[in-house]
Amino acid sequence: MPWLFLAPALVLFALFKYVPMVEGVRLSLYEVRPFLGDVWVGLDNYASVLTDPLFRTAAGHTLLLALGTTFGSMLVGFGLALLLEGQARTLWFVRSAVFLPVVTAAAVVGEIWRMLYYPAPDGFVNTLLSWVGLGPWPFLDSPDTSLWSVMAVGVWKGAPYDMVIILAGLAGIDRQQYEAAAIDGASVWQRLRHVTVPALRPVASILLTLAAIRGLRVFTEVYVLTGGGPANSTTVWMTTLISRGFEKQDIGVASAAAVLLFLVTLALTVAVRVYRARKEIG
Amino acid sequence: MGTSTRLRSLLIAVLGVVGLVGAGCGFSPAAAKDPTAPLEVWTRSNAASAKVYEAIFAAFEQATGIEVDYKAVPIDFDKWIQRRAAARNLPDVLINDTGMLGLYHSQGLVTEIQPTSIAGGTDITDRAWDSARASDGHHYGVPFSAQAMVTLVRRDWREKLGRPVPTTWAELVELATAFTTQDPDGDGQADTYGMLVPGTTDRGYLSWWAASYLWQGGGDILAPTGDGGYRVAVDSAESVAAVRWLRGLFCDSKVIQPGALTTSTADAHPFFETGKAGIYLTGPYNFGRFDKSLGKDRYEVIPTPAGPAGTTVLGEGENVYLMAGSARPDAQRALAEFLISPPAQQIGMRGQPQPVVRLPVNRTVDVHATYQDPRWDLVASSYAEDARPFPNVPNFQPFRQQTAEALNTIFASCTDDVPGELGALATALTAELQAQGMAVP
Repeated sequence: MPWLFLAPALVLFALFKYVPMVEGVRLSLYEVRPFLGDVWVGLDNYASVLTDPLFRTAAGHTLLLALGTTFGSMLVGFGLALLLEGQARTLWFVRSAVFLPVVTAAAVVGEIWRMLYYPAPDGFVNTLLSWVGLGPWPFLDSPDTSLWSVMAVGVWKGAPYDMVIILAGLAGIDRQQYEAAAIDGASVWQRLRHVTVPALRPVASILLTLAAIRGLRVFTEVYVLTGGGPANSTTVWMTTLISRGFEKQDIGVASAAAVLLFLVTLALTVAVRVYRARKEIG
Repeated sequence: MGTSTRLRSLLIAVLGVVGLVGAGCGFSPAAAKDPTAPLEVWTRSNAASAKVYEAIFAAFEQATGIEVDYKAVPIDFDKWIQRRAAARNLPDVLINDTGMLGLYHSQGLVTEIQPTSIAGGTDITDRAWDSARASDGHHYGVPFSAQAMVTLVRRDWREKLGRPVPTTWAELVELATAFTTQDPDGDGQADTYGMLVPGTTDRGYLSWWAASYLWQGGGDILAPTGDGGYRVAVDSAESVAAVRWLRGLFCDSKVIQPGALTTSTADAHPFFETGKAGIYLTGPYNFGRFDKSLGKDRYEVIPTPAGPAGTTVLGEGENVYLMAGSARPDAQRALAEFLISPPAQQIGMRGQPQPVVRLPVNRTVDVHATYQDPRWDLVASSYAEDARPFPNVPNFQPFRQQTAEALNTIFASCTDDVPGELGALATALTAELQAQGMAVP
């Protein structure tokens, strides 16, 4: 009986997830030529992914972007949470407003930021910068700043999510600890450093691992903002994979890259699960 | 700008990834095609040119009784085709760039054509038939339209600044610099740029734009060796000089619009229409659009300004491809024969605002009489005298893509080491040439 209830979901999952996944693994072992017949190449596709300088650059960018976005979001989210903690109605409104980037489609976010980042002096962000005597900056237009600009968008989009989780964590901290610390003469900074931050450690570990894994699969923002350019300065694993599969028509190699990404995220996820399970037992 | 473009690109990319792991012959054997279904025809068209194609196909249905199921795919056409190919279920007929022939042929997606067996085939110019021939000497498409790249200039800006029509590279740069620095739109702000460049590496767009200038400078990507083979010429002294000159536009005189190196063609047009940039090397198919959005009297089509080695421009066109696996080969052929007939060619040329047949491939169709527009006479003479296509290797796409990536790097980083970058590119292209079996031993 329980299987019957699960059946619709299972069928959909099998059809749209598991079968395609298995098929992806199969394709990664072939030179794919749908109308001429696939050619078995064994692990050659994997070798060409691992030795391809473009994929290596992309891996570096992906890691940097994942780390930067994760920590940036945490920091900004923490700051926002401290600012917006409380019960007042106005705060509730501001929190909702701040949360909007999270629920906005990544493609829309990318498109809007592309306009905000318009690299001429009359671009939106550059106009703001000019008020404080900075800029104009090239943002996405220069290989030196493009990756950082993409990262900033990631932080902008990710921070409010972290804020909500941290807010929940903050609410769970026993008020008496603050009071005790205050009575002992701890300054605001000391209370933050020695009470708040340690109490948020479990929250932080969840956020970090989730974000790090998600960060490896970053695609939408980069694809919409820069498509990997200029001069490949923002290529990430997924954009390289797409370009390999559908611009150079190398479906086999692209599949191998997809399988590798899957294996890495799987390994990371399992490692986190094992680590957390041990901690809970210990 | 280009919002819908990018969103659609994104959609297809996402679907593509699903397809990437979901398609393949083991899992989804080609559904046997239904011979009674309408002929499925795809073109790479926006909504405006789709209307013109609809008129052509309506005439076809009326003439032959063969029903057409027409889809206009404006964005990521090539990626969609690859998906359909991976599922072994291609449309029956495509109309797409001549430059795709090599790729389609190497993937076995297109069927062979005997020019002599196509009704009306003898009326097609030899040059057009050449553009439907693969490197193995056989034909895998039926020519449909031809064109040469043209230089558009904001006439009102040029006249306001009292500049002559540029006839050389040096004058072109002078004009571009004046457009950038002398406030041609008179709004008191430095918000205009000399040249408009669709410089993204997506689809290798940057190579499409840069190729004409590379040739005008005496350089080349691949040079024919005379015996049917090719050698890489992208690191020759002339190529280096031409790329140095292009690099100067980006890095020294800075006359290119901001964001050029991530801008696609569709995203670029609005820069010209809205008065952001004043010189645009592009295809002639946008006259109608720019006449409407910008005004016919505000821009002009000028004869190509000459580089050190002449006025060569990229001249390509579009072919009708009869795709593999179709259940209706006779209907495929009937459509191709109709599309090259004078009535169909003329409907295509008269399309507003965009003609889908730019220059006719049928020599019995008179450009001057059909268009009644001196600008098209200029395109026709440029095509006849100065245009050349990309080389006829089995698959030029990897060359176009890698060249675009290398040029994008040079223009973005403003490196002084142009020979070094082009040398590295040449090494990669030589390997590709060998892989495709076209290198001279």
